[in-house]
Amino acid sequence: MSAPHERQGTRLAPGSLRFSFNGRALTARSGDTVASALLANDIRLVGRSVKTRRRRGILTAGPEEPNALVTVGSGREVIPNIPATQLIVTEGMQVRSQNTWPSPGFDVASVLQLGGGLFSAGFYYKTFFWPSWHAYEPLIRRLAGLGAAPRASNLPSPAVEHFACDTLIAGGGPAGLLAARTAARAGAHVVLCEREPFLGGELEFEPATLEGLPAGQWIGGMIGELRRLKVRLLTDTTVVSNDGDRYVAHSEPGGLPGRNSVYHIRARRFVVAMGAVERPMVFAANDLPGTLLLGAAERYLTRYGVRVGLNAVIGANHNRVYPAALRLSAAGMRIRMIVDSRGEASISDAATRDFREKLIRSGVECLTAHSIVAAKGRTEVRGAEIRAIAGSDPGRTVDCDCILTSGGWTPVLHAADQGGGQKSYSDSLGAFVPDNQPPDRVCIGAARGSFELAALCNEVVRTFARDPESAEAVSVSGGDPTPQWLPFWMPEAARSREKLEFVDFQNDVTVADLRVAVEEGYTDIEHAKRFTALGFGTDQGRLGGTTGAAILAHLQERPLREVGASRLRAPYQPVTMRSVAELRSGNRLRATRVTPLHDWHVEHGAVMESTGLWKRPRCYDPKGAGLAEAALKEAKRVREHGGIADASTLGKIEICGPDAASFLDYVYLTKASTIAVGRSRYAVNLREDGMVLDDGLILRLSSDRFRLTTSTSHAEHMLSHFEFWRATAWANAAVAITDVSEAWSVIAIAGPKSREALARSVDAESAMKVAALRHMEFASVTCRGIAMDILRATFSGELGFEIHCPPDAALSVWSGLIGDGWQPYGLDAMDTLRIEKGYLTHAEISGQVTPYDLGLHSQLARDGDFIGRELLSRPAFHEPDRPRLVGLRTRDKGARLNGGAQIVLASRRSESRGYVTSSAFSPALGEWVALGLVSRTIAEGQEVVASDPLRGTQTVVRVSPCVHFDPSGTRMRS
Amino acid sequence: MSHIRCPFCGDRALREFEFRKTLPGSAATPLQSVYFRQDHPQVSVEHWQHQSGCRSWLLIVRNPSTGSILRTDLLPEFPT
Repeated sequence: MSAPHERQGTRLAPGSLRFSFNGRALTARSGDTVASALLANDIRLVGRSVKTRRRRGILTAGPEEPNALVTVGSGREVIPNIPATQLIVTEGMQVRSQNTWPSPGFDVASVLQLGGGLFSAGFYYKTFFWPSWHAYEPLIRRLAGLGAAPRASNLPSPAVEHFACDTLIAGGGPAGLLAARTAARAGAHVVLCEREPFLGGELEFEPATLEGLPAGQWIGGMIGELRRLKVRLLTDTTVVSNDGDRYVAHSEPGGLPGRNSVYHIRARRFVVAMGAVERPMVFAANDLPGTLLLGAAERYLTRYGVRVGLNAVIGANHNRVYPAALRLSAAGMRIRMIVDSRGEASISDAATRDFREKLIRSGVECLTAHSIVAAKGRTEVRGAEIRAIAGSDPGRTVDCDCILTSGGWTPVLHAADQGGGQKSYSDSLGAFVPDNQPPDRVCIGAARGSFELAALCNEVVRTFARDPESAEAVSVSGGDPTPQWLPFWMPEAARSREKLEFVDFQNDVTVADLRVAVEEGYTDIEHAKRFTALGFGTDQGRLGGTTGAAILAHLQERPLREVGASRLRAPYQPVTMRSVAELRSGNRLRATRVTPLHDWHVEHGAVMESTGLWKRPRCYDPKGAGLAEAALKEAKRVREHGGIADASTLGKIEICGPDAASFLDYVYLTKASTIAVGRSRYAVNLREDGMVLDDGLILRLSSDRFRLTTSTSHAEHMLSHFEFWRATAWANAAVAITDVSEAWSVIAIAGPKSREALARSVDAESAMKVAALRHMEFASVTCRGIAMDILRATFSGELGFEIHCPPDAALSVWSGLIGDGWQPYGLDAMDTLRIEKGYLTHAEISGQVTPYDLGLHSQLARDGDFIGRELLSRPAFHEPDRPRLVGLRTRDKGARLNGGAQIVLASRRSESRGYVTSSAFSPALGEWVALGLVSRTIAEGQEVVASDPLRGTQTVVRVSPCVHFDPSGTRMRS
Repeated sequence: MSHIRCPFCGDRALREFEFRKTLPGSAATPLQSVYFRQDHPQVSVEHWQHQSGCRSWLLIVRNPSTGSILRTDLLPEFPT
């Protein structure tokens, strides 16, 4: 352990910070990530693995970290699943490990050995069938999964920005920076996203000279140049998903998603320059804390001045291991041994020989054609077992306190593998590379498998220059040798060891699991993924995907190119649900529509209900009584005295023009052209397949002008529906369609005294008009000088009127009636009244009923063409067991009838003959009444059973006419 | 295809548009046009409305396998 102030690193700033890990107070340097601070404090155990509960330590130094996922914060402000490698320590930060209880050092599940055998590959599919999955689910849910989601959150919504650009570049390494400069010089509007807080990517560790400048200076000059070229540079920002031409980027300064920004970017060209990820090597117990990636060790050293161990054994399969080992050695780490899996012949270039000579001279043992076969140690690395790859070498163990491995590089293919792109295996490179990309996507640099700095720089410049021929070459000199690796997927080992050879750390997938998958026939890579969980979770195979695919190929003796790798799915890194929801939460989830009377309803104790976007009153002032009782009282009052209701949410559409009448004749089943001016008609329209779509009223305002009402929930659809037919079959007709839903408020007044009340409230010269209105007639009147229409129509069966008034007059009309002694009724009472009268709503017009089913025979007796006409003659519409709308009455007057109950014969209860569409307790009749769609084979008067097993009721009911109350209609015609 | 080029309004977000239906390939009877459709993996001729915009009806020719839009036209020019 080194004292914080002694550490020197490129990411560190002066000053120290305090934070806690699992409740333990620790000190970090300003600029530390949680991972670097934990390592600096000699804390290696950071959590337990998800299935087998093995001890896990920090493996990487980047967002690909599979083990060190932590939960940060306390109380309601906790965020799970943040890679400790990305999370910058702030003063007082509270960090906890995951998958452990009570602590990572003493974990109950691992002591009880609940992992291991229980969670072998395919366990979900095989183990938990008896007696049923549900018996095991609670236990598995407790043990499986990553961090726990917070119960509630006070986290603010992210800032959301939408913008467009010509070129969006993901990745600010040498390739991304050069692409940005070249494209911007060619006149493009460029945006560059870099997930790190700093630009430059791998150049941070590259002792190269570019365009005559050392890498660090070159980056500085580049940033200035990009700013001059108006390139938008977004650091701490990751492109997490793309769906073809829209890209989502998340900005998370400090690695903390709680205070982030979300960018929705549209770009003409998307440049993938996300670099490559170093692969860990496979050997037994390769997950023991103290096993890290070689590149991670270098990063912790350079950035944070942290040595991840003092005695290292390094395993690799490439030439870059030698210069890296020299740098670690120079920083005071003792390199015990370098184990190169390649043969001696592979070390052919002079530079690599030179590095190796230096290492050997300083006492480092350098083996070729050997591999690490196991990590030794109980709780953390204490040694490494080394063996020759060929022959029967008994092997030997080297003492060490850390094992650093590097198995080559995997291009970051997330962005390339989404939005229509693909990938394929390159044998020459030993990696999957982008393939078959959409025309607007360019993959560059290591992300497309180009690892040679000079070559990739010039490739980029040629790609983005306006004139590739005259593009200025980028001079590159010095630097580490270009990485060259020979794939080495896993050592030959005894089967017993395969259970400890981890391929996918996050999902605990071992070589043994992959073998089971192959043996059970899950040979397709996507099947094997789902069987073993290889590449699940936040990892998505970025560390172990290629190796896992290669081992699957090896076990099946098929070429890796043919086996392929599983699709890498978005998001690239964990994002909070809050960021996905953005601002669409709480009241902002969707718009709210209210009528002009909304405030009045609320002030008078209305219980509001949502219908689509609308808020409508269900009933008023229930107090202690409960909604049902309040509604019952309101319905009773309407029948006895009368009442008023707000019906403003009805859809209202005006259709006008010389062809308006014939247009309506076509789009409605109901004939509109025969409606006299000043009258209205109940009207129904059909879909093309002959099913009933909606109902409402048509008012004929003049010979060429109509106002339609539609049901509240269908208003928007009906408008589109009419506009569609005008744009297609009626393209040349003189018809205009106008949405007037919000131009008219509607107040319904019902009751024997409604006529007198209206006559009193309108201006004197209009009173006669109101008094003279016959059923379904309307008249234009003035009320306190304001013009409005009064339509005599009813949805309650009482003498009733609809007042269509301008919205700003609605409150005064309503208040006038209230002052006149009228009381409001809500939706629930309205429903009761209409069920008593057998009027329809969308409970009956379910989209599966024909006009025959609803008994609309009078409407069907018409001439001319209309939507749905051809298909009305389908034989299926006329089969003897089609449903028809009926009334239902209970045999036992006290019995309750539930909506949704199935109608069955008492003798044959397993077969449904229909169902109850809506039911209500009728205050007028003193019993439950219902409407239902019941097979025609059941005659009126027949007794059947309304069976509602969910609510445990079986009610004997009699099929009756639809109209339960006042069947002759004397009340509404009075 | 997360945006559609409306002939009146220009490039607009997909969420402003509402899909109505895929057109049947050839001249069809009413029954065929309602119930039987030949889905083509590369060419899909569809009706859309710019519902949260100018409300014009559009005929869009789309490649469903790539999600790319091949053509966008106002509807009246294409009698159905």
